Amino acid sequence: MNDIKDHSSARSRISTTITYLVMIFFTVMALYPLFWLILSSFKTTTEFQMNKLGFPRRWVTINYKDAWVRGKFPVLIANSLFYTTVTTLAILLLSFMAGFGFSKIRHKATAVLHGSFVIGILLTLQSIMVPLFLIVNWVGLYNTRLGVLIPYIGIGMPMGVYLGTEYIRSIPDALVESARIDGASYSHIFWRIIVPMAAPVGMTVAILTVTGTWNEFMLINILTSSDALKSLPVGVQKFAGALSTDYGKQFAALTIGLIPMLLFYLIFRKEITKGVAAGAVKG
Amino acid sequence: MAKVRTMADARREQRRAYWTLVLPGFLLYISVMAFPTIFSVVLSLTNYNGGKLFGGRVPIELVGLKWYQRLIVDEYFYLALKNNLWIVMVSVFGQIPLGFFLAYVLYRGLVKGRDFFQTMIYLPTVISTVVIGILWKSFFAPHGAFPELMRFFMPGYEYSLSQHPMIPVLFVILWMYSGMYMIIFIANLQKIDNTIIEAARIDGASEMQVLRYVILPALSGVIVVTAILAISGSLKSFDLIFIMTAGGPANRTSVLSIYMFDKAFKGAPNYPLANAISTVMVIISFFLIGLTKFAENKFGGRE
Repeated sequence: MNDIKDHSSARSRISTTITYLVMIFFTVMALYPLFWLILSSFKTTTEFQMNKLGFPRRWVTINYKDAWVRGKFPVLIANSLFYTTVTTLAILLLSFMAGFGFSKIRHKATAVLHGSFVIGILLTLQSIMVPLFLIVNWVGLYNTRLGVLIPYIGIGMPMGVYLGTEYIRSIPDALVESARIDGASYSHIFWRIIVPMAAPVGMTVAILTVTGTWNEFMLINILTSSDALKSLPVGVQKFAGALSTDYGKQFAALTIGLIPMLLFYLIFRKEITKGVAAGAVKG
Repeated sequence: MAKVRTMADARREQRRAYWTLVLPGFLLYISVMAFPTIFSVVLSLTNYNGGKLFGGRVPIELVGLKWYQRLIVDEYFYLALKNNLWIVMVSVFGQIPLGFFLAYVLYRGLVKGRDFFQTMIYLPTVISTVVIGILWKSFFAPHGAFPELMRFFMPGYEYSLSQHPMIPVLFVILWMYSGMYMIIFIANLQKIDNTIIEAARIDGASEMQVLRYVILPALSGVIVVTAILAISGSLKSFDLIFIMTAGGPANRTSVLSIYMFDKAFKGAPNYPLANAISTVMVIISFFLIGLTKFAENKFGGRE
């Protein structure tokens, strides 16, 4: 990795400079729209219309106060926290249980059951949107919290089971067997041996589930109708989408919608990128 | 705990434990994903149009492939399909090469501050598509910041994006997801044995030769995987387009999922037709995944 320093010829200095410029260009490209959004959210709508690109001449926070109250953001954020927390915990528990069963208890049904989970990774959410909407309606769960949570959990299962089974399989069988011989129950083994040892993959599954659930928009948009049940993305879409010309409030609402994930990412960026790589190369 | 257990007892307990562990998750998954997928195929062969499934006013009849026949003569279906293909093109010829380039520069340490660049370039991917969609919609609007920015660089710029409504959508897709491919490539580049690269460099191989003869062959399997991701990603694209254009103007930015949504939730619902579209989407994705797997077996890939 030190080879750049070794070649101090002019040519390699030029190519290093060009490489830096290209990388900086892409970084600026990635960040500029978000900067533009945040800057614009501190302008009044009147100022925005005259000064679309520059810094605000007068920084105002009124947009945030308005959007926070009128967009009902406290309710939206509480709902998003609720959906994300319950979904993540349920997926972790259920997929670790299944992974434990699949990898540590010999049973002839495993091939079929585990195989059907793996096929589920390939199914797209879009292809079940319409039937799921109809089914949720028929069973009377339309516009209820449960009617959102059950699909969220079921949809996250394939990835959780796949990653969980892979990982739990690598825990030595001897650990489980010797605990069995000592008379430990399966639930004891699950909580005392499997769960602590599978914590790293639990982190990966949790990261994937949290980002996926927090940002999910399509399903919750069709499965709920009342304001009290909406999540942050749906609320932002309804509120900011309707304000097509009231730019100040719109940008403030978008910035509020941006911040939770931005913080989550900056705190867990190592784990997120690791999880994405693990989740993506599953094919 | 010194209770004596017979073999049969132990086996029964084992079986009970197995089902207790596996069944809750499995039932949930089946009822939410597998059953609706099959159910969708069945519905696409009927004339069901809302209301109760049994004992409704209009009895449900099987109509065979009627909706599929209607689909293959529907120009909007092809319009949506074409836009899906555009998204695949942008992924395969835009995101994947770009993601690879960025990953390569960072992995080989051609610039310092790898952590910083990686964090910032990946950032757009984690933000809610709703925020991203509305943000860019405002940015690209006729009175938004884009025309102003263009006029800053090219004084005579005339706003012409309304004639090419797919361009902003494709641009945002490129902007948002290239970082994901970068992360996938970095993760797999790290699996390559570094001593091979160092040895090649010591033997006098140039940076380009290392790339051509060491790194690319080692990554061919991953490149195939990213191609699968690009295709399934195109079929998944819904949120961003729904927010940015909702398929408009006049369905010109519609993709299969948006087209399906319109058939089911906009105006008078046509559930069988919507389900026929979703069945076609499932078939396309399985077909393409099979094709890519085939290509992987045929042309190698060291995974």
